Amino acid sequence: MASIAQPAPPSVADHRNDDVSLFRLYVLRATYLLLVIGLGAMILPDLVSHVPTARGVIPSLLGALWLLAFIGLKHPLKMLPLLMFEFAWKSIWLLLYGLPQWSSGQLPPTFADDIFAIGMGVILMPLVIPWGYVWCQYVKAPADRWHRRIRPSTDVV
Amino acid sequence: MWFEKGFDLAPSIWERGNHEVSLVRMYLIRVGCLVSAIALASSSLPHLIWPDPTGRGMITAILGGLTVMVAIGIRYPLRMVPIFLFEFVWKTIWLVRFGLPQWAAGAGSPLLRDDLVNIGMFPIIVGLIIPWGYVWRHYVVAPSERWH
Repeated sequence: MASIAQPAPPSVADHRNDDVSLFRLYVLRATYLLLVIGLGAMILPDLVSHVPTARGVIPSLLGALWLLAFIGLKHPLKMLPLLMFEFAWKSIWLLLYGLPQWSSGQLPPTFADDIFAIGMGVILMPLVIPWGYVWCQYVKAPADRWHRRIRPSTDVV
Repeated sequence: MWFEKGFDLAPSIWERGNHEVSLVRMYLIRVGCLVSAIALASSSLPHLIWPDPTGRGMITAILGGLTVMVAIGIRYPLRMVPIFLFEFVWKTIWLVRFGLPQWAAGAGSPLLRDDLVNIGMFPIIVGLIIPWGYVWRHYVVAPSERWH
C-alpha cells in the first residue's frame, strides 16, 4: 500500500484562515473591490469639492469606509467588522426608514438614491459574509483577555 | 510548560510581554467601547425608536450600526480594531476637509459648533486608544491573507 504523506498540521493562524474557503476569500475581496470602485466614484467628488458650508458628515463616513476597504483587499477576514458594520447600519436604515417611507409614500428627495445603494448592501452583505466564521470568531470564541493570568495565545487574532 | 499553565508573561499590566497588547491597553479600549456604546445609543436610539417619517435617516442608522459594533468590541477589543480605525479615519477626514477649514473661515454649517466638539475632538481621543503597534503588526507588515 502506497504511503500517503501527511500534511503538516496548520498553525493557529493558518487554521483560522482555512476556516473559510479560498473562493470565499475571493468573494470577500471582490466585495472590498466593489466598495473601492463604487463607493469611491460616489463619494470622492463630494470629498474633493463641496459647498464650503456643507456639514460633511456623510461624505466623511463613506470616505472612511472607502479608505479602509483597501486594507480589506489584503486582509479580507481581519477587516470583516467593516462588512458587518455595513450590514448592520444598512439593515437598520432599511427597516426603520427605507421600508416605512416606501410604504407610506412620504419620500425624502434622497430616497431613490439611498434605497438603491443601501438596499444593494442589505442584499449583498449577507451573501458574502462567512457567517460560520463570524459565529466562531465573534460569538463563540472566548473573549479577549480580562485578567493577567491567562494563556498567552487567547488574545492572538 | 509555562504556556500550558496559563502563566502570564507580561511583567506588568503596563507591558504587553508575550501578549498582543498590555492589559491596560485592553481595558482602555474596552472603556472606550463602553463609553461610545452609551453615547452612540443615547444619541441614536430616540431617532431609531421614533424615526422622522420623512427624514433621510442615514446618520442615525450609521450611528445605530456603530453602537452594535462597539458593543461587540467590549468582548473582543482586538478583533474589532477595524471599527476603531473607521472611527478614527472618518472623524479625521471630517476635521481636515470640513471642520477645520470652516472654523478657520468663520463660516460653516449651522451645526458646526456642535460637530467640532462631537466629532472634531475624537481623532485625538480615538488615536490615543487605538493600539497602533498592533495595527502595524497585523494590518500593515503582516503577510496578506492567502491568495492561492
